[in-house]
Amino acid sequence: MTTRPTPMTHEEAVDLAPLYVLDALDEADMAAVREHLATCPEPHAEFEELGGVVPYLLDDPATELVDPPAALGERIMAAAAADLAERTGPAAERTTPPPVASAPAPAPIPFPSADERTASAERTRGRTSPLEWAFRIAAVVVVAVLIGWNLLLTRQVSDLQQQANAAGQYRTAVTEVLDVAAQPGSQTALLAPQQPGGPRGIAAVASDGSVQFAMQDLAPTSGTQVYETWAILPGSNPVPLGSFQVDASGTASFTSKQGPTGPGMAVAVSREPQSGATAPTEVVSVGVTATPSS
Amino acid sequence: MTDRDAELSGRVASSTDDADRDVLARVSNGELDALQELYDRYRTMAYSIALRITADASLAEDVVQDAFLGAWRNAARYAEARGSVKTWLLSIVHHRAVDAVRRRRPTTELPEAEAPPPPALTLPDIWPEVAGNLDRAEIAAALARLSDVQREAIELAYFGGLTQVEIADRTGAPLGTVKSRVRLGLLALRDALTGEAVS
Repeated sequence: MTTRPTPMTHEEAVDLAPLYVLDALDEADMAAVREHLATCPEPHAEFEELGGVVPYLLDDPATELVDPPAALGERIMAAAAADLAERTGPAAERTTPPPVASAPAPAPIPFPSADERTASAERTRGRTSPLEWAFRIAAVVVVAVLIGWNLLLTRQVSDLQQQANAAGQYRTAVTEVLDVAAQPGSQTALLAPQQPGGPRGIAAVASDGSVQFAMQDLAPTSGTQVYETWAILPGSNPVPLGSFQVDASGTASFTSKQGPTGPGMAVAVSREPQSGATAPTEVVSVGVTATPSS
Repeated sequence: MTDRDAELSGRVASSTDDADRDVLARVSNGELDALQELYDRYRTMAYSIALRITADASLAEDVVQDAFLGAWRNAARYAEARGSVKTWLLSIVHHRAVDAVRRRRPTTELPEAEAPPPPALTLPDIWPEVAGNLDRAEIAAALARLSDVQREAIELAYFGGLTQVEIADRTGAPLGTVKSRVRLGLLALRDALTGEAVS
């Protein structure tokens, strides 16, 4: 919805009076005029003058008179009865004073106040039969079951949504790896978990020695915990390439700093208590690079 | 209309208003048979107005149901000084129909879910003495006195559910011209209706 930055002036409100009385302003202008009328102390004869005409448009003979379907009345009455039951309790207990034929037309009777409704409800409870109590208890049980079921469904939907989000993030990460892998002189590696169900992924080593990682099924990190990436040349010590943290999605897209490259190089991911590790503490996923076939 | 006719018409209208207020008082007291009575009295007008605005039978049914249930729940808010029960009820129908049309239109700004009462409900009816003395033919005669562009602007606004900007787009007229046409049209209608009532 568009909003007006400042309150409407009296002149602006009067200018919009013809459209306001016909309900032909957008919601922002309607609200601004309404607010002006509620707060402006000046008279608003224009509104009364023009607004007084509007009810007669309801009798415009150009409106073709059409009877509604019979079922509509039944639906309205059924909805009103349900509303009444909800408002006042069982309809059978509601008492309506009998009309007095000779009495003058009564003034509109307002709905009972909150206190009156509370008192009425307490009187009604005092007359509740055991059978009605049984129905009420059953209704409460049904409502509780429905609420529990709804919570369960909500949680399942939330889990599925989270899985879908993680899958989307991983797809994006893999696309970034493939972009690097498509460059001349790059190498790729499929990273396999060191434990069943552990993290896995794919990495591409660029010709400059930087590595693009796409990982999934990583346990989320907390505190200072990080995942460290490594380049391991045959016969050499692992070289740290940089670290990253992981949220609840368990996925990661990471571009490392430049490191060594060479035939048979492996890349690995380890879990570390903090960043700055010089040797891997717990390798969770590793793969050996290969040059993509052209 | 002769004085005698006007007097009789006024008596009939006044009697109808009294009866309507009686029914509405019972509606506010939660009497379902009173709601049925109110529905029987105004169902055709309510549905016809909703159908004219929405041009959709199913949507018009929803509008009428929504309006009568709104009246059922808010009957106690009716204030006699603001007009007849008929005007109050049919204004609710009109407002809900316009809301429904705008919600269906994807390019239109949606009204708030709990829309405030329409202007007709918040403004006093300034000619209570006129109210009962006009029939549909006289209203038709008053509308016929408007210029074509005035009548078009008012009809697009009131029965088309269009906002002033949409009317300007539809007619190709500047926004100021649209406001001017509606204003002058309503004033001309007022003069014509007052003249009819006096005559």
